[in-house]
Amino acid sequence: MTTRATRGPRRRTVVALAVVFAVLAAFVVRLVDIQVVSADDHVSDSLEVGNLGTTTAIAGNRGSIVDADGTVLAASTLVYDVQLSPSLIAVVDENEKSPPSYLWTEASDKIAAVIGTTGEQLRADVAANLEENPESQYLFLKSGLNTEQYLQLKELKDEGLAYLAMKSRSVRVYPNGAVAGTMVGFLNGAGEGQYGVERMMGECLAPTDGSQTYRTGKDGVVIPGSETTTDAVDGGTVQLTLNSDLNWYLQQMVAEEAQRQGAASATVTVVEVKTGKIRAAAEWPSVDPNNVDGTPSGYWTSQIFSKTFEPGSTFKAVTAATIIDQGVADWSTGVTAESREFFPNGAEINDPFSHPQYSYTLAGALIDSSNVALSKYGEMVAPEVRHDYLAKFGVGQKTPIGLYGEEPGTLHPASEWDNQSLYTTTFGQHFTITAAQLASAYQTFANDGERIDLSLIESCTQADGTVVEADAPEHEQVVSESTAAQVQRMLENVAVQGGLSERIEVPGYRIATKTGTAQTPDGHGGYKSGIFDVSIVGYAPAEDPEYVVVVTMDEPTKLRTSAATATAFQKAMTQVLKTYRVKPSTEPMDELLPKFK
Amino acid sequence: MSAEATARLRPTPQAPVREERGRRLRPVEKTAPRRRPKLAYALVALTGALLIGAAQMGLTLATTHDSFVVADLKSQQRSLGLEAQALEEQLAGANSPQSLASKASELGMVVAGTASYLRLSDGAVVGAGIGAEGVSTVNPNGSGAVANSLLDDRAAAAAATTAAEEQPVQAATAEDAVAPPESDTPPALTDGLPTPSTH
Repeated sequence: MTTRATRGPRRRTVVALAVVFAVLAAFVVRLVDIQVVSADDHVSDSLEVGNLGTTTAIAGNRGSIVDADGTVLAASTLVYDVQLSPSLIAVVDENEKSPPSYLWTEASDKIAAVIGTTGEQLRADVAANLEENPESQYLFLKSGLNTEQYLQLKELKDEGLAYLAMKSRSVRVYPNGAVAGTMVGFLNGAGEGQYGVERMMGECLAPTDGSQTYRTGKDGVVIPGSETTTDAVDGGTVQLTLNSDLNWYLQQMVAEEAQRQGAASATVTVVEVKTGKIRAAAEWPSVDPNNVDGTPSGYWTSQIFSKTFEPGSTFKAVTAATIIDQGVADWSTGVTAESREFFPNGAEINDPFSHPQYSYTLAGALIDSSNVALSKYGEMVAPEVRHDYLAKFGVGQKTPIGLYGEEPGTLHPASEWDNQSLYTTTFGQHFTITAAQLASAYQTFANDGERIDLSLIESCTQADGTVVEADAPEHEQVVSESTAAQVQRMLENVAVQGGLSERIEVPGYRIATKTGTAQTPDGHGGYKSGIFDVSIVGYAPAEDPEYVVVVTMDEPTKLRTSAATATAFQKAMTQVLKTYRVKPSTEPMDELLPKFK
Repeated sequence: MSAEATARLRPTPQAPVREERGRRLRPVEKTAPRRRPKLAYALVALTGALLIGAAQMGLTLATTHDSFVVADLKSQQRSLGLEAQALEEQLAGANSPQSLASKASELGMVVAGTASYLRLSDGAVVGAGIGAEGVSTVNPNGSGAVANSLLDDRAAAAAATTAAEEQPVQAATAEDAVAPPESDTPPALTDGLPTPSTH
């Protein structure tokens, strides 16, 4: 019941309450603002202004490099450097409140056992250090201890040996050693990518460091609520197109073959025909990224991408493709050739073997690898046309892989070709290529005239799981399908009718190959005599090509011709077909092409 | 305004009486007696304050305790991480193709030539159909061995451990120690082909 008498005090109560609530509300708003809305600002403010708390950097891990199956080829791990404070030893030993489990005489034996020295030696070192400076707080013991050794030392430290100190440091480990070593690459002393994928994909692999700021109580426990953490972001994982098991086999095999042939170095490159992906890049010698200095510095870079050579006869197939694609010849077009001929402009061309005058077909000229015959076929089109085809097959341009230090090779303009090189360019001289470019050229033939750019990187998986696929490789129809078909048929005939046919046979499969022998520059403008850089390139199965294999060998001394590469090629192709479970050939080969008219 | 509300505002029958009483003024005889403060209110307020205090202390205790638990768990996580790392380090290199091939070759396994395939639909052999020759195409322990300094480190570490462990009984095992750990010639077979024991 409301009366006039009661109305007054009640109104006052209501007003008073309202005022109280308004003030309370204001406080609540401010509180929420301080504690929730702009809490982070205030905390960082307080840390900056008041210099409160401790900030530590959280190091992110550099990303891993894995092969096509996920086998780790490079990863980051921690090693430990151990040191001790000599002047602290006496203090620790004389500490009666909490005496250490072992006195120095016993402790030194235990420490020495972990770091691989003797107790006497360690005690002598410490004594010498103390003699030099009785206040010494630093004696370096050993660097690069593994985690197991670290844990043993940590146990000792926990038992009271406070003078021990272990610092961790991140190092790069390459579990497979030299397998694809030049592709994976290595880091420099500062931990930056120096070569290979480590350098090329540095952006994906690099971590972003984080930081942690907090205040601790007297006993080192973090005061609740005082922590602010910016997490470190680990580097991404780079997946390569390589198969490390295959790569190992090829490296092992080519090293044995090269030594057997007394060669200076050798490589095997495997490219998947239908994707352009590099499946193996085997080199001998090859750098072991775990121990870069263990390999001569000349082999720190990839020979496959950085060593250029005149391809020689392997590029006769390009000349053949040029004239067929231009419509001036086919596999049966004939020329006559002697083993040595002088051309009207004064050029002198020799065949590697002496023979009477032959009336070659184009197929026959490739099978016998006749320089004279190819010179005559080359004359059928203008030099500019041949130059342009060489360029279209990738001569003189780096592959799009982007490996540091890759060489583009040299292709002189047709106008600068002299009387001799006008002809030698028909059989792979007067221009230089890398093994990678050779593989790319034959990928083009094997893939019906369509080049798919070589690739080495599959993807980059960031720390949050986002997968960034490598850019799709570009496709280019270099020669027509019908041209490629004729070249393919001729190359299979080279494999079957050529001089190495029995030694390169892969039972169950039809293959196509071409060998090349290049003179090597002597560094004084001429060529070394009697010693060559030899190569063989081929693909299988011939009826539906899947893999291109290139084998190169530098300066073999037992067999000095391209025959030196035959066994290596046969083993490499066999292993590639086995690794990828390629179906053996079931269609028989077309009838053999006649060598002569 | 709704009809109901209007009705509510209309003066009730008692209203005139109340007005009459209100108009009658008289002097105040004495001050109104001071009302006794109610004990219940004080108790409620006090208990409330105490409860709040207690709750806050409880929460602080809980967070502090949690902070210790977190610190504990973090150190546990760290030591487990270290253990895992130590185990991984033992694996590093051991799972490399070099090491596997070398071990396989010591067991007498070979890398053979081409493979043949059996077509299930008609049982046909696809491929050359020739058997393995029993000669490996590569020798992983030979001069061409692909380098892996991790394996060298491991071998050195293993040798050091073995030497350390065997030191007390060196005299007894001196002969074993002299024999090369890896022999090029396979051991003589006396009881047929050795088979690996599997689970």
